Amino acid sequence: QPVKQEPRAPGVPLVEFVQQLDDYTPTIPDSVTAHYLSRAGFEPTDPRIVRLVSLAAQKFVSDIANDALQHCKMKGGVSNKNKGKDKKLVLTMEDLSPALAEYGINVKKPLYYT
Amino acid sequence: MDSLSKSRRKALKVSVAALCTEVGFGVAEESAIETLTEMLQSLLTEIGKSSKAYTELSGRTEVMVTDVLTALIDQGIHIDSIPAYANRGGKTVLISPVQTAAPPI
Repeated sequence: QPVKQEPRAPGVPLVEFVQQLDDYTPTIPDSVTAHYLSRAGFEPTDPRIVRLVSLAAQKFVSDIANDALQHCKMKGGVSNKNKGKDKKLVLTMEDLSPALAEYGINVKKPLYYT
Repeated sequence: MDSLSKSRRKALKVSVAALCTEVGFGVAEESAIETLTEMLQSLLTEIGKSSKAYTELSGRTEVMVTDVLTALIDQGIHIDSIPAYANRGGKTVLISPVQTAAPPI
């Protein structure tokens, strides 16, 4: 017997969520996001909408960075143990490129650059 | 590039760096951070453009939340996981830059 799924309006809980963004501070400053939006012709009147955009953009970057981290850990776990106890994970283009490729973005190293 | 856009780029770069630190990286290559910054800038512009287009398609001038959500879905961002992301622990908050003089328009 197939499970009946409740039809739900997508985005309705998010509209409620946006109402709660009044006293939330995203990592990207509001004024910076607002500028890039207004450059695209979007004049934000409600600061909560700006915060929603900031959050979405942050999530995008965080997800990519997380993917790159997994690549980094997979490689680092096998071979290099750099500098003994001082083990800081390094974000390199080598790890970032495969992470970006999953998002359909192909980064090429510019020619003649070090 | 004028000084204003330079400072905005700097703010974005710091945000990207903060997000990378939050994920667990300790050090980063300049080019990697720069790539992410460029992508973030493009994404913000694209969300703005797309939201505006949806607003005007509905015959309005004021952007509503639903327009932005539709634009986000178009970009392939999973909007359902945004609330969980917003409530994550240990988030970094940057002090927003103070505007000292009115920007020339």
